[in-house]
Amino acid sequence: MGKTLFKDFKIFNGTDFIKEDSLLVEEGKIAKIGCGLECEGADVVDGNGRLLTPGFIDLHAHFRDPGQEWNEDLKSGARAGAAGGFTTLVAMPNTKPAVSEPALVEYVMSHGAAAHAARILPAGCVSKHREGKEICEMEKMAEAGAVFFTDDGAPVATSQLLRLALLYTGHVLPRIMEHPEEISLFKGGQVHEGRVSALSGLKGIPGASEEIDVARGIALVRETGGRIHFTHLSSAGAVELIRNAKRAGLEITCDTTFHHLTLNENAVINSGYNARFKVNPPLRAEADQKALWEGLQDGTIDAIVTDHAPWHMDEKDEPFQEAPFGIASLECAAAVLLDYRARNYPKVPLELLFTKMTSSPAALLTEKWQGLGRIEEGACADLTVIDEERTRIVDCRTWKSKARCCPWEGIALTGWPVMTYVEGNKIWQDEEEL
Amino acid sequence: MTWRHRSVIDLDCWTREELYFLLDQARHMENVMDRPVKKVPALRGKMCVNLFFENSTRTRVSFELAEKMLSADVVNWSVSGSSASKGETMRDTAWTLEAMGADIVVMRHGAVGAAQYLASKLKRGIVLNAGDGTHAHPTQALLDLYTAWKHLGDLEGRKIALVGDVLHSRVARSDVIAFKTMGCDVVLSGPPTMMPREAHALGVSYERDPRKAVANADMVYLLRIQRERQQDGLFPSVDEYHRWWGADEELMKYAKPGALAMHPGPINRGVEIASEVADGHQSVILEQVRSGVATRMALLYLCGGGAR
Repeated sequence: MGKTLFKDFKIFNGTDFIKEDSLLVEEGKIAKIGCGLECEGADVVDGNGRLLTPGFIDLHAHFRDPGQEWNEDLKSGARAGAAGGFTTLVAMPNTKPAVSEPALVEYVMSHGAAAHAARILPAGCVSKHREGKEICEMEKMAEAGAVFFTDDGAPVATSQLLRLALLYTGHVLPRIMEHPEEISLFKGGQVHEGRVSALSGLKGIPGASEEIDVARGIALVRETGGRIHFTHLSSAGAVELIRNAKRAGLEITCDTTFHHLTLNENAVINSGYNARFKVNPPLRAEADQKALWEGLQDGTIDAIVTDHAPWHMDEKDEPFQEAPFGIASLECAAAVLLDYRARNYPKVPLELLFTKMTSSPAALLTEKWQGLGRIEEGACADLTVIDEERTRIVDCRTWKSKARCCPWEGIALTGWPVMTYVEGNKIWQDEEEL
Repeated sequence: MTWRHRSVIDLDCWTREELYFLLDQARHMENVMDRPVKKVPALRGKMCVNLFFENSTRTRVSFELAEKMLSADVVNWSVSGSSASKGETMRDTAWTLEAMGADIVVMRHGAVGAAQYLASKLKRGIVLNAGDGTHAHPTQALLDLYTAWKHLGDLEGRKIALVGDVLHSRVARSDVIAFKTMGCDVVLSGPPTMMPREAHALGVSYERDPRKAVANADMVYLLRIQRERQQDGLFPSVDEYHRWWGADEELMKYAKPGALAMHPGPINRGVEIASEVADGHQSVILEQVRSGVATRMALLYLCGGGAR
């Protein structure tokens, strides 16, 4: 493996933009960081003043593999991630069959690696076969490579099971990732209970559905001393609960999605109830969206995830009520956020958003991967080049992902990843860069 | 007036002038209904498909009569369940209709957004929404408007009370839009468990006490209560519902003298409406059924190109 010199970049190291403008990559690691570095014989990537960040880390993506590969498979998912600037993707285990045994954890790792694109790390189920009855062989699954345990797609079925899982994992095994939802309040729901449900007649899912499950998790963490990560937060009430729990010193973390930060329930109405905007948890009220941004800024929310949920067009292109939940977004998520921030929250520092996409999610992975998400000497050379000025129209037909249905189809966005490197190897480059 | 609407999914983009224009057309169409030969050639050569994914004898027959009185060719296509449940996507259904040369598709479907979806997939055909889930029922709103207009005249400033299960009522949602566009003051009443959480988003007020809701109303509109909602726990018993929110003569006394009593049908006697009100002098329920044919004729005529 040769040397690559990245020069004339504005470098974000995982927490801040630094004064140095170049770095040398050797043997897949960052060998040197400095100003105006030169290196004879190295391949040179000239940034022309563009941004260089640690590769984006997505803690929550769905790849439908094993079992529903026509929607997405681990290879297409890994390539889609690379094309969106992501270098590490955590695959949710709610596949068919569910990833609830060590062999399937290994399957996800090996098939993901075969794409030679973004790194895919498996999350394993909390319960065997995701049935909500008994906890999985968590030690064995962690040994096989699982980085979280979650029954995502649904909450952990009972409080007793969640309590056992928190006790069992403690601070030794990977974190429990909880999909916060109180099932009886969700039942049959389609959209946020509020303006959109009132106008449409679609059954609403109240914010309380999320809050109640978050409150359950907090109570159990307090009681067991375990660790929990709440994923795809959508409601103001849940943000407030977690804010207070963190202040109380509990080991609780959370993430929200690119789409909950950049869309709200009005998008469902304005689209004429287009299923591209149907997602679980639902796009909520403007006040909830605002609370998520506040949660990002005050440190309550630790990471921004995609919850990439690919569906084949035949399944997703249906009337709103009949279509499945889920937004596919890996390839445009970063651009969606950068564009939205520039238009609506220009005072929110870019550093904050990049932190939530790099070093902050990395810190929630297992020990082996803790070094990701940083640009520092000796660190793994997972890198993303971003062109803040690049304007491109979202065109799902050109995606690496098998999904072709996305809320931003046909929308022009400014600020795109243009190159992605994993361990010093270029895994994707925007065609306009060629 | 130049008619700008083709497909009709709901009435939220209609102006008051357009609504009055349609009501005026409906009056002409009602005259056709009284002729010995109830047929005019307005839609001769046009093919109408009545595509019903949900059972609905009243609405389907009303549309069919309207289509036949306008001399359209009519095909009734009844499908049980959803498009997905019979293994065909709605896209395929749309393309099939297009290939068959359907000019106008009247569709009822159990899913919110189904009519809009179908309209988005058809390149030429016109879609008239005959009810999509709990979302909209624009032709019911038009016939309600027509009935009210015939009795009350100018609707500006009139008070309308809608009582019952608003949460699950496509009729209520479309009626709210239509009557508000006409300048009416609309008040909702019913059990809080059967109201949208943010009813104010509909631009109307909510009054839990039905007596206060119907106070000085020009029209009291009773919404159908489905008994299975009791199994869902949304109200404790039919008896309690009737005693508190059901319309009897006592409740109607709070409304203006001679206020209209309306209902989309079929009625549950003794639940949302007492027989004394349903069959009383204030009831215009059967008139609504007749208005349905006239307003649907007007809509088919205007959207189907009869006015051009």
